[in-house]
Amino acid sequence: MTEDLEGVTTPWRPPDKRPVAVWLGSQAPMRSIRWLDGALAAAAKLGAANAIAAGEPGWLDLAADRASRAQIACIGVATELQLDYLGWAQIAAAVVRQVGASTILVDEGSRPDRFAEVAALAELLDAAQLTHVVTLVPDGKVLLAGRAAGRELHSVRVRGPAVLGVRIPGPPVDEYPTPMPSAALRRIDLAALGLDPVVLAHRALAPRAKQPPRGTVDQLADLLAVHVAPRRREDT
Amino acid sequence: MAAVLVHIDLDGDHAHPSSLAALAAGRLVASSWGATLYAAVIARDTVDGRSPDSTTHALTTSQVPGFEKLQPQLARAGADKIVVALSDVPVSPLWASVGVAWQGVLDHLRPRLVLFGADAPSAAEVAPRTGAKIGARLLVRGRPLGLEDVELRDRDGGYVRAQDSGAAVVLVGAAPDQPDGDDDIDVIVLALPGGGDDRVEVAATQPLASADSCGALIVVGDDVAADAAVLADIAALAGALDAKVVGSRAAAASVTGADALERGSALAPELCVQVGATNLDVAGATTLVRVGAGGKMVDAAVPGPTAEIIGELVGKLAPPRGRP
Repeated sequence: MTEDLEGVTTPWRPPDKRPVAVWLGSQAPMRSIRWLDGALAAAAKLGAANAIAAGEPGWLDLAADRASRAQIACIGVATELQLDYLGWAQIAAAVVRQVGASTILVDEGSRPDRFAEVAALAELLDAAQLTHVVTLVPDGKVLLAGRAAGRELHSVRVRGPAVLGVRIPGPPVDEYPTPMPSAALRRIDLAALGLDPVVLAHRALAPRAKQPPRGTVDQLADLLAVHVAPRRREDT
Repeated sequence: MAAVLVHIDLDGDHAHPSSLAALAAGRLVASSWGATLYAAVIARDTVDGRSPDSTTHALTTSQVPGFEKLQPQLARAGADKIVVALSDVPVSPLWASVGVAWQGVLDHLRPRLVLFGADAPSAAEVAPRTGAKIGARLLVRGRPLGLEDVELRDRDGGYVRAQDSGAAVVLVGAAPDQPDGDDDIDVIVLALPGGGDDRVEVAATQPLASADSCGALIVVGDDVAADAAVLADIAALAGALDAKVVGSRAAAASVTGADALERGSALAPELCVQVGATNLDVAGATTLVRVGAGGKMVDAAVPGPTAEIIGELVGKLAPPRGRP
């Protein structure tokens, strides 16, 4: 059973099946929603699509609002769980199976930890994977993807079931209205997906101490130390 | 004995420097944990029609071009054993290309800890898929800490320790150089035919036309573009981080080799260091830091006199020989 915004309870029915899905993740974008908009626009170009998001209600409302602007249906899985990449991928994969999608885009650009969910989702769905996609064009049954790899661009043809992590920006958005709860958001709970929160909790993120803001040169140098390019050893 | 496995990407006939950093981290961890350190390389098998149980061909590294240089390099970098996985498809930094062979290595060794160089070409594709295969925790840009009880720790407080249960995959961001290891080292050669994933086909490779999605960027602010001392330090920092320098047309014009980007260009690099004020959209950076400017939703921001701050930063990160 599901309950709508007016509190009316209706029998649960599965969401509409569509061949394309776009996984928007479990948290709102960190700094800008233009990557979220870009992922939605890229999905819309590929055909009938469902956007999928999971997490707390405010984020689901934002996801549904941006999806509706891209004219894409949105499915939200409300949960308070804090999971790692494999935990969120299990939820996303369960929804993808419900909607029967074979092409799944993942919004990689909105949050730094999202790229790992591309591989996890591909593994769970036994699909091909491609990360760091910066251009995507459909060509019949083939997708022509541009993949950024260091300072190179790979032109890649992708056929069949695939999960693609996209970093494609939408137009600049300086400010956007606070989204309101929308009847257009199709809410699904974990039980309807056949997922047990107790089992999923095995993929819970370990609690981490909140990091203080880094505002000194020493702290900045410490942060950048893991980005310093290793030098080739003299004897090699 | 537990296995610590390091994935080695190749840069020509040498190990990629970022993979060697992962190997150095692996050496510290394996010594501390009492584990065996394996360095695994995937190479194209030049013998056609080999099967996994083939007895008609001796498995040797003679089919791996340049292995005579690679073997001592990995041995000196600390590996206890080298695993060469021979694939029957061309090797590229995509899971679709190396996934079958890499799965064979994982099945053979059943490692407790798998390390990748964070900047190695295949890290973004292969590391998280490895984690998903073995149900492992994933740490990004970890580094070894500790002397006797070595652990790997990322910047957000995530860690991997000897007493942890379960497997872990770590993309290593930095590690200290290790003393030279022994050149006499065991080599295991595995024939792992099975093809690649033909659903993904690389049709062409070309230089990125724009720097906006490359690994590391330093954005030169319009307000510092006329300061020669700041620009010299930016060049040194770019050398240390292997970063591309970009800016608005006005800013880029004052920096040799810098790329000019249009106002509002959306940048999505792995690392973005913004020096001074800019009107480029840097919000898509995985890691974003500001020098000489404050700000919210950044990973670090040091406001104040830009020249002093970046000079001090370069002193900490860039050895003198790296400076122009």
